[in-house]
Amino acid sequence: MTSLDLDLPAASPPPRRALRLRGPLLGLVLPLLLAAGWQVAVDAGWAGGRLLPPPSRIIESLWSLAVAGELLPHVLATLARVGLGFAIGAAVGIVLGAAAGYARLFRDLVDPTLQALRAIPSLAWVPLFILWLGIFEPSKLALIAVGVVFPVYLGVSGSILAVDRKIVEVGRVFRLKGLALVRRVLLPAILPAVVLSLRSGLGLGWMFVVAAEIMGASEGLGYLLVDGQQLGKPDQILGAIVIFALLGKATDAILVLLARPTLRGQDAFGGRN
Amino acid sequence: MLTLRNLGKTYEDGTRALSGIELQVEAGEILAVVGGSGCGKSTLLRLIAGLDRPTTGQVLVDGEPVAEPHPLVGVVFQEARLFPWLSVAENVGFGLRHLPASERAARVTAELERVGLASAAGRLPRELSGGMAQRVAIARALAPRPRVLLLDEPFSALDALTRAGLQDQLARLWTGDRPTLVLVTHDIEEAAVLADRVVVLRPRPGRVDAVIDIALPRPRDRDDAAVETVKHDLRRALDRSLGAGRQGEAA
Ligand SMILES: Nc1ncnc2c1ncn2[C@@H]1O[C@H](COP(=O)(O)OP(=O)(O)O)[C@@H](O)[C@H]1O
Ligand SMILES: [Mg+2]
Repeated sequence: MTSLDLDLPAASPPPRRALRLRGPLLGLVLPLLLAAGWQVAVDAGWAGGRLLPPPSRIIESLWSLAVAGELLPHVLATLARVGLGFAIGAAVGIVLGAAAGYARLFRDLVDPTLQALRAIPSLAWVPLFILWLGIFEPSKLALIAVGVVFPVYLGVSGSILAVDRKIVEVGRVFRLKGLALVRRVLLPAILPAVVLSLRSGLGLGWMFVVAAEIMGASEGLGYLLVDGQQLGKPDQILGAIVIFALLGKATDAILVLLARPTLRGQDAFGGRN
Repeated sequence: MLTLRNLGKTYEDGTRALSGIELQVEAGEILAVVGGSGCGKSTLLRLIAGLDRPTTGQVLVDGEPVAEPHPLVGVVFQEARLFPWLSVAENVGFGLRHLPASERAARVTAELERVGLASAAGRLPRELSGGMAQRVAIARALAPRPRVLLLDEPFSALDALTRAGLQDQLARLWTGDRPTLVLVTHDIEEAAVLADRVVVLRPRPGRVDAVIDIALPRPRDRDDAAVETVKHDLRRALDRSLGAGRQGEAA
């Protein structure tokens, strides 16, 4: 067999199909193999699988939660927190970022403070938010919003500052001013960077919703994590983790999909994500 | 068509870029502006385009003082400066928003055909070569049918072969509705092949050093003996202006 391979001229056959699998499909191979291997090992009795349950038990656990009608409320609670926290953080970040990018005075006045606040590990706010806002929804939303606001602020203000003055000049040659100049030149010029910052903001939103829900919640995927730990149900914990992964990926994909029409001038957004 | 009266520009940092420019450009004329680098050529064009305000004097287009970019004046810069998020066709149609969609589309198609890029209409700027991008920029500037087109070293970033091709193409485009062209260049041959008249600037501050008429028929062959003679004269005038600048600096 090897001798046959050696006989082949260097560049003749096309690469084998399996090797040409691209992107997401290729990325699935390793986790699926590991999961299947673990499943086989547990089924065959080579491993216990009590602390690291096999895929079948994780699915079973999620399924039983789902048929009992418990899974959906948890998922919706978490989605609502991320959605609302992200919306608040993104809106504040866009407004602050736009003001800082557009007005020199505002930037000089506000940017140092925001940069200093950004340096604080966001979880350090938790005790304060709880004191101020109580242990219920408002403090959780505040934490998520704080996670989202900084990357969005940085992305928006930075992208406005980075707009190519030369291209704005072309807009002026075509006699665009004020809002028309913003709409037809500035906005499309900054959109790719803004979308990127929204995506990292959303990622942080997902990070902080876990923190917020572990702090204490009676509902949500984070609650399933804590509950699974206290009741010794690693299958439930892993199930919640899997759902986090799926939702995080899905919401990011939705964001990219919504933004796609505005991003086509970009080399970096060739649909690689 | 275009009148410059005692035009001068001193930047905020005190740089005297231009001083006392007097110039009259007729409708349909092709005027080349040559001079060493830093002698105020770009400044002159930006003032005419209404992108910067003069410190002294004024620019008149059709007798009207220019205070901001004028609807009848188009600009082509050294870099193509295409909008990266718009297709080639959308870039060309950028200044045609006031037209109904069907007319706009027809105009864009016509302009792209004139610069030989009809087949690239749907492409994005990042997929174009430097020469193609600059042709799109020219089409974008010509699409609104300006009466005056300002070009700031439009071909200087291109290789020699592409540059010669685009110079000839510009000459052909001009024969269409014969806009007034003001072509800034430091390429003597470009001026000799294209211009009716060449203004030589002298640096620090930029002033008119010499004005040379070129009474050769068009189209011109860049290898023609008469064009060679003009190039020779232009080079001498340019050298003199640079020498004058150095003396001015020493004084
Ligand atoms: N925005 C500006 N601020 C200050 N000085 C400038 C500015 N633009 C150009 N200059 C100066 O004005 C002079 C003329 O510049 P420019 O018009 O760009 O010359 P050219 O196009 O002939 O090379 C140069 O000395 C240049 O450094
Ligand atoms: Mg210049």
